[in-house]
Amino acid sequence: MSDSMRPPGMRDWLPDDMARFRRIEQAFRDVCLGWGYEEVRTPTIEHLHLFTSAGTLSPQMLGRVYSFLDWDGWTGERVVLRPDSTIPVARLYAENEDPGAVKKLFYVQNVLRFAQGDESREDWQCGVELIGDMQPVGDIELVLIAAEVLQRLGLDARIKLSDPGILRAVLSRAGYSLPEQLALYDRVLDGELSVLDEVAGRISGTGAPVRSLLSMEGDGVAYLDNLLSALRAAVPEIERSVADLRVVSGILSEVGREHAIAPLLVRNFEYYTGPVFEFYVDGVRVGSGGRYDSLIGLVGRGDVPASGLALEMDVLASVIGDGARQGAAVVIRPEAAERAAMAAAFSLAGELRSAGRAFRIAGAGEPAGGCEIVASGEGFTLRLNGSAPRQIARAADVVSALSEAGL
Amino acid sequence: MIKIALPAGDLRPPVADVLISSGLHVEGYGEGSRAYRLSVRGRDDLGVRVFRERDIPIQIALGNYDLGVCSLSWVKEMQAFFPAQPIVPVCDLGAGAFGVYAASSIIVGGRLREIAALPSVRIASDYPNLAEAFAMAARLPRYRVQSVWGAAEAYPPEDADAVVIAGANEAAVRAHGLLPLHCLLQSSAWLIANAASLRRKELASVIGPLMSAAQPGGTPDVSLPAPVPSNGVRRDAAEERTAVRMAIPDGHQQRHVVDALVDAGLTFAGYDETACVRRPASGIDGLEVKVVRPHDMPQLVALGQFDIAITGRDCLLEHLHRFPSSPVQELVDLQRGQYNLSAVVTEDLPADTIEDALAHWRREGKASIRVASEFMGTADYYARSRHLWRYQVMPIAGASEGFVPEDAELLIEGTETGKTLRENRLKPIDLLYRSTTCVIGRKGATLDGQSKTVFDHVLGALRRAGEAAGSV
Repeated sequence: MSDSMRPPGMRDWLPDDMARFRRIEQAFRDVCLGWGYEEVRTPTIEHLHLFTSAGTLSPQMLGRVYSFLDWDGWTGERVVLRPDSTIPVARLYAENEDPGAVKKLFYVQNVLRFAQGDESREDWQCGVELIGDMQPVGDIELVLIAAEVLQRLGLDARIKLSDPGILRAVLSRAGYSLPEQLALYDRVLDGELSVLDEVAGRISGTGAPVRSLLSMEGDGVAYLDNLLSALRAAVPEIERSVADLRVVSGILSEVGREHAIAPLLVRNFEYYTGPVFEFYVDGVRVGSGGRYDSLIGLVGRGDVPASGLALEMDVLASVIGDGARQGAAVVIRPEAAERAAMAAAFSLAGELRSAGRAFRIAGAGEPAGGCEIVASGEGFTLRLNGSAPRQIARAADVVSALSEAGL
Repeated sequence: MIKIALPAGDLRPPVADVLISSGLHVEGYGEGSRAYRLSVRGRDDLGVRVFRERDIPIQIALGNYDLGVCSLSWVKEMQAFFPAQPIVPVCDLGAGAFGVYAASSIIVGGRLREIAALPSVRIASDYPNLAEAFAMAARLPRYRVQSVWGAAEAYPPEDADAVVIAGANEAAVRAHGLLPLHCLLQSSAWLIANAASLRRKELASVIGPLMSAAQPGGTPDVSLPAPVPSNGVRRDAAEERTAVRMAIPDGHQQRHVVDALVDAGLTFAGYDETACVRRPASGIDGLEVKVVRPHDMPQLVALGQFDIAITGRDCLLEHLHRFPSSPVQELVDLQRGQYNLSAVVTEDLPADTIEDALAHWRREGKASIRVASEFMGTADYYARSRHLWRYQVMPIAGASEGFVPEDAELLIEGTETGKTLRENRLKPIDLLYRSTTCVIGRKGATLDGQSKTVFDHVLGALRRAGEAAGSV
């Protein structure tokens, strides 16, 4: 049993961490609102069955959910701590919106999934869901939103595009069942590229080396055309996926967004049905998203196309700089723990808050800061960055003095 | 000292044979000794404790024992929900082989696709974690697992659509009137080890001899079904029943319930002091009677599968401690089968109250209080309400008197006369409540016509029997 009172995989967000968290959140919210999206939030607890239908959460993820019988769980139906936000937002849409209505939604919320050891079990995400018939415009819009958020945070992000339909078509043509496809996909993403040779061996007429074509990262439309010309005859089913990706890639190039095409990209791809994208900063994946046209139907509301995107706040918080920490530059110190000094201190506090200023009342033994105001029954002593002390009688005049000093 | 956990029950004779043939003679084990702690002839370095089989993986995972023998199915049952548990299956001892099967009722049909087409699927099992894993892997859209204390095969078709049960083979499953859907596991008795003990402790003097009995082959994995695609076709819910359904218990409560039924003037053919058939004939038009485990009755009544049931107050309160908003309530106290549910500690503990005991353990620097009980919900409620601070509730399936003090500080246990506690050098220090046999029903149940007449007749008769017993 661990000595810490904090469970493994859970983190405390300290003041510096929270400053970064809020910077990311603010940048994200500003960009989403600017693109016409509306904010939502879904419950922390959902029914397990929301996630168990084939095509929703992948088997790997289902094996990591925190599920339990609630206090009223005598029926035997389990609930989960939200392991994913896209599926709950799909439920929110299905239960609250007209079928087929275009909704542009965003959220900042956490997801909880078991992980081994100290690996994070609670992750915060900035997520966007675009539900309704908006494709392929929607896919492009989401990529540009993510790129703008990352740009605002001062990050130079590398964009990668893919479509799991390409590999799915190859694996299906090779005769693998869905569970086998999922297992093979994971092996490939774990670096076991020789799997692709086995796959190619089961498809007659592949001609071009499947392994080298699928495992490389290409540049835009030209690479997609090469891929299609090499595989179309043996795996004609890839044509649609390549065509969708070609549209997105072409437009991103036209608006000046550099990107790479990586056919092998997304884990847990069960619910993605079209183009997917990922964002990398210094080789670290900071966000991902894609199209999931079947999901709304699986939660009970017909076939409504949809795309989504999530930026990982924990990862982003580790790659953005510290920035300016929000905090109080002014310190008020009661001269003594007696009534008149404390009353003066709180009188000044009231004036400062009315003026919209931040401050901190000093605790016992706290060292003097850059701007310190000592409050007593006789008035206030203002010390500015080591300059000579200045006596001020009234609290309102202290506020004026701070303004004059540019604080 | 190497600590070894061995199984009680059906697995005991074949495991005893394996041990003897490996040169490990556990005194009294094969002979069915009632002692929980046994010695090994000529081996002062070994200590053996006998547990109910399903408790053994928990004890090994906790590190209370270095080695254990139990059916692999109980290891897999625990690992299905807690895959990171530090248990290492060492070798298959070959004894006590059986399969764990998912099976459906004949009414539903013997294919997964038919199960998936139900509006909701009820799965009864005393392997609830394997049942969850099965339902999740099959991607059943809406299911609920009823964790039962045994006899899951008796639930279909009225009370479950599918089960996950142990059986010698598919024919044995079919003999229960069920259709096998999938074999999840081929199980037998395995030697298992705590991972940390295996890494650090000298266990070779036990593992070595037992390897002579080891069967070839690796550790079998749980086989799970492929996802069943949702075809969107849902069957209609079953027709609403018209008969009143009553559940009566088997096991140690049967004797008390038979007495109460006789006093109430109710006779169910096939249910008396000597007989217990699964579906006794009630002899009352519109009344169906079924025998189920008393622990499972509150949930079945809450679900509306039974209108009335006779169980112990301990089972009712256990259910309500886990699910406080459950609509089950006590209707009649039958005033029979009385016992106390108490917090029990070792006689050697210098404390007569729970407060003194807690103070003592804190002085000793215990980081966490281990609470063992067959009543997990009740034990957890007790630990919370008595402010035990940091505690672990350890589920146990029986042989409870042997847990304190080595494997737990506190036991939440039923006592009738206190004789068994004294024999095991234990003492009660706190009374949780007094349990008796009682009649339970569902709050807000709406019965009318003939159903209401039958319900009122049965309840009235039982109420008079309870009042008569109370006035003696």
